[in-house]
Amino acid sequence: MPEVRKFIKSVGIFLLFTTIMYFAYLFMWADFMPRFLQKNIFYRIGSTGYTFTRLQEVKTTQNVDVLFLGSSHTYRGFDPRIFAKHGMKSFNLGSSFQCPTQTEILLKRYLHTLNPKTIVYEVYYPTLASDGIESSVDIISNDKNDMESLKMAWKLKHIGTANTLLYAYCNELIGATDGFKEKLVKESDAYIPGGYVEKKAEAPKSAVLKQSPWRYDLNPLQVQAFENIIASIKKNNIRLILLQAPITKKLYQSFNKKEEFDKKMRGYGEYYNFNEILNLDDSLHFYDSDHLSQAGVEVFNKKLIELAFKK
Amino acid sequence: MLFNSIEFALFLPIVFALYWFATNKSLKLQNILLLIASYFFYACWDWRFLFLLMFSTLLDYFTGLKLDQVTNRRNKKIWLWISITINLGFLVFFKYYNFFIDSFAQMFSAAGLHFSPITLNIILPVGISFYTFHGLSYVIDIYNGKIKSEKSFVDYAVFVSFFPLLVAGPIERASHLLPQIKKERTFDYGRAVDGLRQILWGLFKKIVIADQCATYANLIFNSPEDFTGSTLIIGALFFTFQIYGDFSGYSDIALGTARLFGIELLRNFAFPYFSRDIAEFWRRWHISLSSWFRDYLYIPLGGSKGGTWMKVRNIFIIFLVSGFWHGANWTFILWGALNALYFLPLLLSNRNRVNLEIVAAGKTFPTFREAFNIAITFTLTVFAWIFFRAEDIGHAFGYISRIFTAPFFPVTVFEGIYQALGAAVVIVFFMLIEWKGREQQYAIAKLGFTWSRPWRWAFYSFIIFLIGMFMETNEMPFIYFQF
Repeated sequence: MPEVRKFIKSVGIFLLFTTIMYFAYLFMWADFMPRFLQKNIFYRIGSTGYTFTRLQEVKTTQNVDVLFLGSSHTYRGFDPRIFAKHGMKSFNLGSSFQCPTQTEILLKRYLHTLNPKTIVYEVYYPTLASDGIESSVDIISNDKNDMESLKMAWKLKHIGTANTLLYAYCNELIGATDGFKEKLVKESDAYIPGGYVEKKAEAPKSAVLKQSPWRYDLNPLQVQAFENIIASIKKNNIRLILLQAPITKKLYQSFNKKEEFDKKMRGYGEYYNFNEILNLDDSLHFYDSDHLSQAGVEVFNKKLIELAFKK
Repeated sequence: MLFNSIEFALFLPIVFALYWFATNKSLKLQNILLLIASYFFYACWDWRFLFLLMFSTLLDYFTGLKLDQVTNRRNKKIWLWISITINLGFLVFFKYYNFFIDSFAQMFSAAGLHFSPITLNIILPVGISFYTFHGLSYVIDIYNGKIKSEKSFVDYAVFVSFFPLLVAGPIERASHLLPQIKKERTFDYGRAVDGLRQILWGLFKKIVIADQCATYANLIFNSPEDFTGSTLIIGALFFTFQIYGDFSGYSDIALGTARLFGIELLRNFAFPYFSRDIAEFWRRWHISLSSWFRDYLYIPLGGSKGGTWMKVRNIFIIFLVSGFWHGANWTFILWGALNALYFLPLLLSNRNRVNLEIVAAGKTFPTFREAFNIAITFTLTVFAWIFFRAEDIGHAFGYISRIFTAPFFPVTVFEGIYQALGAAVVIVFFMLIEWKGREQQYAIAKLGFTWSRPWRWAFYSFIIFLIGMFMETNEMPFIYFQF
């Protein structure tokens, strides 16, 4: 069947051609098209959360006492200056809505050089229930991409993550982001060395709205990644503290399966749920429904040090 | 297994390779392969209903043989009605049982009588409306002496269950498809490339147009009380493009896939949104179903012959049945009735066969009058789609009344409204391509034929890129799978 063979050969060449063209179109589309036409590309270098700056800083940081991992509750919740006052060198490696699938990658990249004595891993129920897209594109956009990024994109099987990764590879290939620098103060946020993001006191507070109930079921992909992380930390003989950072009472009450989640986390080792430990004021200690104000951070960090490090 | 799934992307090349490399020496083997592949394709959805498909196939196969054997007209009629009754019996049971029971209960209740019906949790076997109609057309054609019965069971079974058309059509005719199944097929490079091109365009329609529109149409239709009148109109427009992209996209993929195996299926869509009147619309929308009803219902009822009353009756019957075929819901019946009302003035004034050719053939732009007629027809169609999309009649009338009673402006800001703007831009691109290619079998059939190969390929690659840029991560099922 020479005609069929010719057809298959043509299809093969066309697919090769299309692969190359796909990169070209992606590159042009992401650079020149308005955001509303970029449905499946989420490349956001230097976006909220200072992931870019944090991941630049982590590359020059070594041997810390405490490493913080987790979502925005982490990078807005653990202030390295407070820990320094208590004689602890710390680094905050939180990122926006960081899910275990992304924490796993960050640990693979940076655990060895950070060499922490203790890891404080902030666990947030929705991140374990999440598809992990928001966090994956945050890390893809703001860090160097390697085989681990490819593995992550494969695991997530999301076209948006795949496109963002392809675009990031293109950018890295031509050095488009080489000279990029992120402003250290953006509106009411300031980046504090050590990975922390401080919300300035004068920042307008968002109303703490009544939350409709969140009905989450854990995502098996995230649970598997979470268990890999725990195993890896234990294998490296690093002290692990799991905790839930405080969120407003209204938001906390909106979650289902709270007790079940606490029980599950306790099963992994040392665990604190600061929503149960602290009695914070929704309007005083928070600037929105789930992020602490600086006053809240002070209370939270002191309590953590008292409970976990001064025993 | 959906056409827009990874499974199908693996299934199709495997069957293609086996068909042209392993079984190409024997037509019989090729047909056996097609039958196995088709049954596998169907079983991927729910293997239990494979037995129903097989039973339906056997029933019509043996009925066909019997119809040819018996010479007595009365006995022929008995065999015909056995087949019709059993075929429609299954269809009515699986598709309409609960609808009839609920409707009776409501009727009794309105008359002040209490009646607690037993409703069943029935799963609708995918494609049942399509393969039942395949079988029916086959036995009716034999009964009417138009065709002879098929002796080879495999060939007949392939006619009923050929996987590209099995679950959502086009509704084939034995006189068109069976001769192709029985004839030796040789690979034609140009036709195969054309098939791939049509698959590509079908995927674009489904993934980029229909799935995008579905997100916003669903959002707006699910809670019309949250939106202003203008937003509700936008919701209806999104659904209009959703259903066209979804169903004509499916048909394009089916036709393109069949072409890869050297088989031509009936054309199902011919740019219906460029129609200048409703009669033209119905000659261009779901052509295989419209022509089925024309040949097996409308004409036997007397068609447009006879007096005015007869014409009106026949038109209403065909549109109501067509609406009911789509689903067990009064909304579909009302949708059919509305289209009958649109159609009647054209029929009664003998203007239903004025616009037979595609609009502005050989020209770039339509005349002002043509554009005006297209706009009117399109508006009527959009209005009718509201009934088609609504959950029930109350929902449909609530939606329509809100368009006129709620504040018209501004367009309600909803989550994802900027992405909706993106979808609107893509629809404009899509309609421009459709307009450009409206004289062809499908929009991109000849587009770029005068360009050099790299440019043509760059265009196809761009379509693939748009699919990647706008696709949903989860596969979205086709609307017509539920019919």
